[in-house]
Amino acid sequence: MRLLTEAALLGLASGPACLASCGPVLTPWLVAERAGWRRAFGLLSVFLGGRLAGYLLFAVAAGLAGATMPLGARERALLFAAAHLGLAATLVAYGLRPRRRAEPPLVTIGPARRSWMPVLLGLFTGLNLCPPFVVAAVRAMETGSVTGAVLFFLAFFAGTAVWFVPFAALGALRVAETVATVARFTMLALAAYYAYLGILTLLGRLLHG
Amino acid sequence: MADYAAEPASRGIGRSLLLTLPVALWALLMFSRALMLPGVAVKVAALLTLVFLVTLFFQMVRTRQTNRWRRWFFATLGFLFPIGFVWELVALRGSMSIPMEKMIAGDTPFCFMVIPMILLPAALTRTVIFPGAILPTASNPHSIAAMIGLWMAATLVLGKGWCAYGCFFGGIEEGVAAMPRKARVRKIDGRWRLVPWAVLAAIVLLSLATFAPTYCEWLCPFKTITEYAEVRSIETAIQAGIFLSLFFGLVIVMPWLTKKRTQCAFFCPFGAFQSLFNKIHIFDIRIRRDQCTDCVLCQNSCPTMALNKQSVADDKTLINCMHCGACVDICHKDAAVWHIKGTPVGTAPERARLLHLYAAWGFAIMFGGSIIAGTLTKMLGFLG
Repeated sequence: MRLLTEAALLGLASGPACLASCGPVLTPWLVAERAGWRRAFGLLSVFLGGRLAGYLLFAVAAGLAGATMPLGARERALLFAAAHLGLAATLVAYGLRPRRRAEPPLVTIGPARRSWMPVLLGLFTGLNLCPPFVVAAVRAMETGSVTGAVLFFLAFFAGTAVWFVPFAALGALRVAETVATVARFTMLALAAYYAYLGILTLLGRLLHG
Repeated sequence: MADYAAEPASRGIGRSLLLTLPVALWALLMFSRALMLPGVAVKVAALLTLVFLVTLFFQMVRTRQTNRWRRWFFATLGFLFPIGFVWELVALRGSMSIPMEKMIAGDTPFCFMVIPMILLPAALTRTVIFPGAILPTASNPHSIAAMIGLWMAATLVLGKGWCAYGCFFGGIEEGVAAMPRKARVRKIDGRWRLVPWAVLAAIVLLSLATFAPTYCEWLCPFKTITEYAEVRSIETAIQAGIFLSLFFGLVIVMPWLTKKRTQCAFFCPFGAFQSLFNKIHIFDIRIRRDQCTDCVLCQNSCPTMALNKQSVADDKTLINCMHCGACVDICHKDAAVWHIKGTPVGTAPERARLLHLYAAWGFAIMFGGSIIAGTLTKMLGFLG
């Protein structure tokens, strides 16, 4: 229980750092969506779900590694390079995706099309090497078991998730088409940045072992 | 420099001289200290700059054309600024590159381009994310407080006009764009205009996330001709490669091909940021629909594509208008006019132009004039 409280408090206390880390992705994405309050909350929930999945994946890895051996620098670097490249690819796909029709068709036959983009954005930002995440990863590894690490990350996620709620307001903004286009361009610019980070990490690993 | 428009009716020489007198007195005041300093080079440089700037203003008044003469000043500023700046860097530290130890010591000269990136971190954490000095020091006279003060003054006086009368970087493109007789690339998609806003959003968000001035680290084309982090690793080598590619692509090649200020129009995040201040600027350029023949000359002449079909139909320029006056100069029908906000469009447009020019040229003499005179002094001193 003490460990869970610690994880939740760590999440709550380091929320601003999480925002600074995930904000650059969340802001243009939600502005580009022009979703309205209800859909914005829905999108944010899916995003957070993806983020939770990223946390839990890492928690399982950290728990397994902590139980046998510490997660090496090489593996960490490869994981974060992959996360950055995945994030860049998702942002590019999102930025270049054709615009959603303004008016829905009168009759929709078959199941509604779902997009995996918010899940992927959440997953890849969840695996980002931001300072609170590193602290949580170290503490999760110290638990020495998969269950302990998963529970730690669950509580940590609950603490940080509170800070993301205000972002729904960005999705609710009814911005002009031009602003939405700028937001999409911004996602492409950010994709270039994350791709660069991923490639640089990979190059560093290849050159320096 | 070739110009597009037929000359409108000129003013008489006497009246033009009278209207130039306040600017001449202001210039004399600005350069009086330099004119009294010991040494021939500094006196000659100050005198040359004074005569150059006052003559350009006289011509603007006499010919009623703005951009035609402004461009001479701006291109001169653009080409002389890097010479003077690099000269100073080499004299201070023996190299154009800035070593890490100098950055840590806060010796990086502050550039106005950083301003949009430092605002949010400063507001939220009271931290200035730039390795410079708040107040001027002997080793770094270009301090953060001085540059921000200067920028605020310029913004109040000029709005987005900073990009046409103050930004020494823009002068380089202006000069390059003026060289070819015709544009080789004419069709440019209007959506490119949105890119500076995206770059602005990206760098502001990333600066907040990384607590570092992202644009300066990765994207500033003008590092090529000012200063850059010493190349000591793959990372700094990539940075230098990006700076060089952006500089030659956007500041040399594209302006030559398009006769537009491509870096300013399609990339510069500071230009986008500065556009916001057009909302509070007292002067703007409007289109008199009753005079307009939709000849699109104004749209083609604009170096930053601040006019399009829709904006002309709405009788105004877009938010990124930098008040260079190119559209007014070229309009045969006097449809594009200078305007003071709050007054009916077309009311004494020449008076509005002159009022704008007094403010803009006053700033140009004080800021650009001192840069031109400073570089000329160094060059004349070097020549003996």
